[in-house]
Amino acid sequence: MKKTECVGMILAGGQGSRLGVLTSKVAKPAVPFGGKYRIIDFALSNCSHSGVETIGVLTQYQPLELNTYIGNGNAWDLDRNEGGVYVLPPYQKEDKNEWYKGTANAIYQNIDFIDQYDPEYVLILSGDHIYKMNYAKMIKFHRENNADATIAVIEVPWEEANRFGIMTANQERRITEFAEKPKNPKSNLASMGVYVFSWKSLKKYLVLDEKNPESNNDFGQNVIPEMLAANERLFAYGYAGYWKDVGTIQSLWEANMDLLLDPPAFNLYDSDWKIFSKNPVKPPHYVAEGAELSNCCITEGCDIYGTIRHSIISEGVHVGKDSLVEDSIIFPGVSIGKNTKIKKAIIGTDAIIGDGVVIGDKKADVEEYANKYCSDGISLIAGGIKIGKGIRIAPNSMVRRSIK
Amino acid sequence: MKDTMGIILTRNQEVRLNELTEIRDVSALPFGGRYRLIDFVLSNMVNSGIINVGIATQFNYSSLMDHVGTGKPWDLNRKAYGLFFLPPQVRLDVRGGVSVSGDVDILHGVLTYLHRSRQKYVVVASGNVVCSMTFDAALEAHKASGADITVIYTNLAENDEQLSRSTTYCIDDSGRVKNIYHNQPNPKYTAAGMDMYIIERALLQSLIEEAYAKGSHDFITDILAANMNYYNIYAYRYDGFVSKVDSIRTYYNTSMNMLDTRIRHELFEGSTPIYTKVKDQVPTKYLSNAKVKNSLIADGCVIDGTVENSIIFRGVHIGKDTVVKNSIVMQTTIIQDKCDLENVVIDKECTLRSGKRLIGQPNFPFILPKRTLI
Repeated sequence: MKKTECVGMILAGGQGSRLGVLTSKVAKPAVPFGGKYRIIDFALSNCSHSGVETIGVLTQYQPLELNTYIGNGNAWDLDRNEGGVYVLPPYQKEDKNEWYKGTANAIYQNIDFIDQYDPEYVLILSGDHIYKMNYAKMIKFHRENNADATIAVIEVPWEEANRFGIMTANQERRITEFAEKPKNPKSNLASMGVYVFSWKSLKKYLVLDEKNPESNNDFGQNVIPEMLAANERLFAYGYAGYWKDVGTIQSLWEANMDLLLDPPAFNLYDSDWKIFSKNPVKPPHYVAEGAELSNCCITEGCDIYGTIRHSIISEGVHVGKDSLVEDSIIFPGVSIGKNTKIKKAIIGTDAIIGDGVVIGDKKADVEEYANKYCSDGISLIAGGIKIGKGIRIAPNSMVRRSIK
Repeated sequence: MKDTMGIILTRNQEVRLNELTEIRDVSALPFGGRYRLIDFVLSNMVNSGIINVGIATQFNYSSLMDHVGTGKPWDLNRKAYGLFFLPPQVRLDVRGGVSVSGDVDILHGVLTYLHRSRQKYVVVASGNVVCSMTFDAALEAHKASGADITVIYTNLAENDEQLSRSTTYCIDDSGRVKNIYHNQPNPKYTAAGMDMYIIERALLQSLIEEAYAKGSHDFITDILAANMNYYNIYAYRYDGFVSKVDSIRTYYNTSMNMLDTRIRHELFEGSTPIYTKVKDQVPTKYLSNAKVKNSLIADGCVIDGTVENSIIFRGVHIGKDTVVKNSIVMQTTIIQDKCDLENVVIDKECTLRSGKRLIGQPNFPFILPKRTLI
């Protein structure tokens, strides 16, 4: 029988509180992206294309929608006879029961899951990054270096290096130093949150880490420094290409807008590395007479009667006559009335925006819906709510509840 | 409807779609931007709760097989029953040639399948009818009337050109079919068959065996019409949108019907979704020169030109200063810059280099066959 060489573990438990109302009911990896994807589609599609076909998705915060979305994994060709994709919430154990305390603890609590497959390697991924990566190459690199851990790194601008976990590596790519958000970075190689571990080695360090009451049980803060201190073989695997952490409203907005560049900063049109998702059962979108479209992405199931400029329109959206959507991301199932203007906004799933509404109105009351997570003029409307006729909402607003 | 199974007839002989059906069965014809015609009947059966569906095929069924696969998009990849692909029973004649003809031969080929199924009722339907319905009400009517065979029909307008090409029924007040006409030049009745029948499995088996023994060939003339006096044939009227695609004209007109929001919503947005094979295409991207009106556009396209009153399938590219009007452009066709297209049907995977001009007539669209490069 074919042996499972590598088990993938996707960390999908974080709340993603910086995404405000977008994650009030769903976990961050289930947040829509790019018109027909969810953020987790990228990690799952990468796994599927890389031949990593045994995957645990670690969920904790608001897992319902994510669980439903992942289902049996068939959308990513991950419904397998051997392996496949499993959703792993924390569970009650014989001696204790607890939540996932940190990224490392989440893996620690699932040692038995991984041991079932007796893999050589474990691939640890975040469920909230937008990128395409062939993990098979990274695993090969790991194997060739006889490494204990391999960390994928990307070069970031020096001035931003203080926002990342920064690796310093020697000529053989062996990591000599690791600093979490250093004030004076010695390198600009940032950790992408993609790790390959030799399972034996990782297991040892997870057990050690768990015994340390001082530990935050986090890979970046605890496990990696611990392994480095013990002079284990840690290597930096260089990645060049598009990679974006979409942890904030600004970065989520930017990553979506990157798709609209010509050519796009991030190419989804690669037929050899398709990003898989659950495809909607919807007809093609309809563009009516009087509609104007420029520089935008529109998904199936939409009916467009208004003007769309520089925006991402997800599946099943209705945009009424004489309405304008500009610099915005409209999530699935949103209905936008007539003569409404939406500028630089993210509109949550199934929201209903009435006629004559203005979102991103510079003359509206700035204070009313101001929120610390909304900046750069981006406004956020929660999913499922109703914005009544003629309501005006200022830039940088976050609207949680329906407004009549 | 667990006690009902479905048989889909795919057929080629009566269909006049020239280049479009030379390479494929009509039921595999791309339709509505992302579908194939068979998606409608398959989805209708599945939406009725039918879990045992056989597709009886005749010719050129490779694209059909490729499309339906294991039946997964329709949830028909099952352990109990599911989707059965039933290629024709090809027999060698004395000279070593092969013969396959008419629906009855096809049905004879599926007799084994009928024998090993356990459902009481069978819905027999053709693979080239566009409508979104369930068979529940028709089955109830079938049971209530005590019919041996129920035919599903729609009322066409008296001047509908489809009428002379349809099977028409003379129906009495009780709903019983008194007479059946096929391909009449001046049809007297407007009740036009939708090529959908409900019948008990046991009866269907014996009718096929009998017709076959007599060397009969056609389901309508040899099974239905020939047995008029022996069996109770009742008619069930369907009032929703329905259109049978059997010519270039009906293909083009039915496609253009999809631009009518009322019809489109009736077909696709109701409680009975139309499933099709998914392609994981990216959303369609409109560049800065795009001008689009009254068009249906599927995922995966890149559009920088003008599109009017047209149906654009998945993965089509339309270049700058290109104008596409009143046309149907199938999957992954590339139309480069400064092309001018009007009243054309472009099959899959064609490439039109810059500056090409193709103009068809409104009632006679120009057809560009699959993989043409001009």
